[in-house]
Amino acid sequence: MLRFLVFSLARAWQGFWRNAAMSIAATATMTLMLLLLSGFFIVQNGLLAGLQFVEQKVEVVADLRSAATDGEIEDLRLRIGALPEVRDVTYVSREEALQRFRDARAAQGEEDLTKYLDANPLHASLEVKLRDPGDFAAVTDALRADPLVERVKNITDLVSRVLAVTEFLRTAGIVILALIAAIVLFIIINTIRLAVVARAEEIEVMRLVGASDAFIRWPFVFEGALVGLLGAAITLGVIAAMADPLSSFMFEFFRVLPIRVGAIARDVAVLVIGSGVGLGVLGAFVSVRTYLIR
Amino acid sequence: MTSTAPGTQPSASQDATASTRASDDGSGRTDASHATARQPVLVLNDVTKRYPNGREALRDVDLVIPEGDFVFLVGPSGAGKSTLMRLIIRDELATQGEVFFDGENLARLPRRKVARVRRKIGAVFQDFKLLPSKTARENIAFALEVTGTPRRRIRPAVDRALQLVGLSQQAEQYPRQLSGGEQQRTAIARALVHDPRLVIADEPTGNLDPLISWEILQLLLRINQLGVTVLMATHNADVVTALRKRVVALEEGRIIRDEIGGRYHRQG
Repeated sequence: MLRFLVFSLARAWQGFWRNAAMSIAATATMTLMLLLLSGFFIVQNGLLAGLQFVEQKVEVVADLRSAATDGEIEDLRLRIGALPEVRDVTYVSREEALQRFRDARAAQGEEDLTKYLDANPLHASLEVKLRDPGDFAAVTDALRADPLVERVKNITDLVSRVLAVTEFLRTAGIVILALIAAIVLFIIINTIRLAVVARAEEIEVMRLVGASDAFIRWPFVFEGALVGLLGAAITLGVIAAMADPLSSFMFEFFRVLPIRVGAIARDVAVLVIGSGVGLGVLGAFVSVRTYLIR
Repeated sequence: MTSTAPGTQPSASQDATASTRASDDGSGRTDASHATARQPVLVLNDVTKRYPNGREALRDVDLVIPEGDFVFLVGPSGAGKSTLMRLIIRDELATQGEVFFDGENLARLPRRKVARVRRKIGAVFQDFKLLPSKTARENIAFALEVTGTPRRRIRPAVDRALQLVGLSQQAEQYPRQLSGGEQQRTAIARALVHDPRLVIADEPTGNLDPLISWEILQLLLRINQLGVTVLMATHNADVVTALRKRVVALEEGRIIRDEIGGRYHRQG
């Protein structure tokens, strides 16, 4: 068994270098395909993070009655904050609301109209951030039922539109990733098949002199794994070299998004090595099979 | 599956048994009653081979080849010679009838045992089937390496085979550096390195000029004298007629003649 393993590994190594042109072509194809796959995987992750960010922007805002005391408000804030659908509750006092309004005007370069007012016309409010924007109705109802709440802004339309867009983008991302994965699968398997077919003569001789199927198959399978491993290593090297510029680009692109390639580094590594070695092995196994079964 | 591969090589002592097996008829003639008395290496029993496209390559073929025989298989192209060869190495299975090699019914042979049976058959072809990236020595050693032979046994076995075919001097040359005859002798050495019981040669002289063809034939005869059964398909009428060995003639998939001491063409 050990001799068989040594033999297979040695022959895989030999086979790789003696057919250098074919092996390099296969490895190059493998690398490009893995780059394509991992590139889309990273973009897909960026997209998901972006969509989550957008969804978290959805908040239910409840204006509070002016008569409400600080104690009552604090009590309400804690009660709402304890709801399972709620991620975070922020209290915005009347003064803060006015300040925000002023800041917003100033940021747009408009005149500060509030100086013409003799009193603050704004309400204090609770801004409720949700874990899942789909749950907004339950939170809205809970707020409306409370006597401290004057009114709750109706965000049904907004939520349904946001959800429609994010759902569409999520599905599209998965479909595109699946398509890319299928393309990568076929191209890699075909490339490995070409490398095996180029050595049909060798396989024929092995059969003729009475090599068992295992002795014919496993060197090719190990060689496929070698191509996969090498392709994965190059791919990961390229990604590692590009990780920093890519992260800052995505950071720029999506603005305030917390997207860093480093955060999904482990997933990318598992994906690249797994699909590289897996497809190399699968391709070799399937290709040699056609020469064995008769 | 793998555990069956190594450690099953015939030992070096087989050489000795091989020479005792040597054919007892120096004249090259065997009478029929004598032939059946010996253990047959190969038996085809009412064999028909029909390919998926409907073509019948062999029809009702009965053939018994006793140990130590030298048999010419003759007939026009497409008569079924190559199909017969492929049935023997179990590259194809008979549609009807049975093929027995060394007492084993090839149709009943489990897949994992096929490789072991093939090691008892040395195959030689018109186009040599040598690997261009390997030297003569490496080509011969390849047959042992891929069947799991321990390294220390490979070198002496390859040396012996090289010596037998007279290529010890050219061992380190690549096929492209060898003449056609030398390439075929390398292929024969590769066929012999497993100490086979049967050598099948499919038009081994088809690509060689007459003088070299005779050399190859002398080599096959010598191997036969060492006790290895030889089945040689050929178009070479001169050789067949001159040697007066057993001749099996195929035509359109049927055996139309099987005579001992025969000529290439039917007499008269």
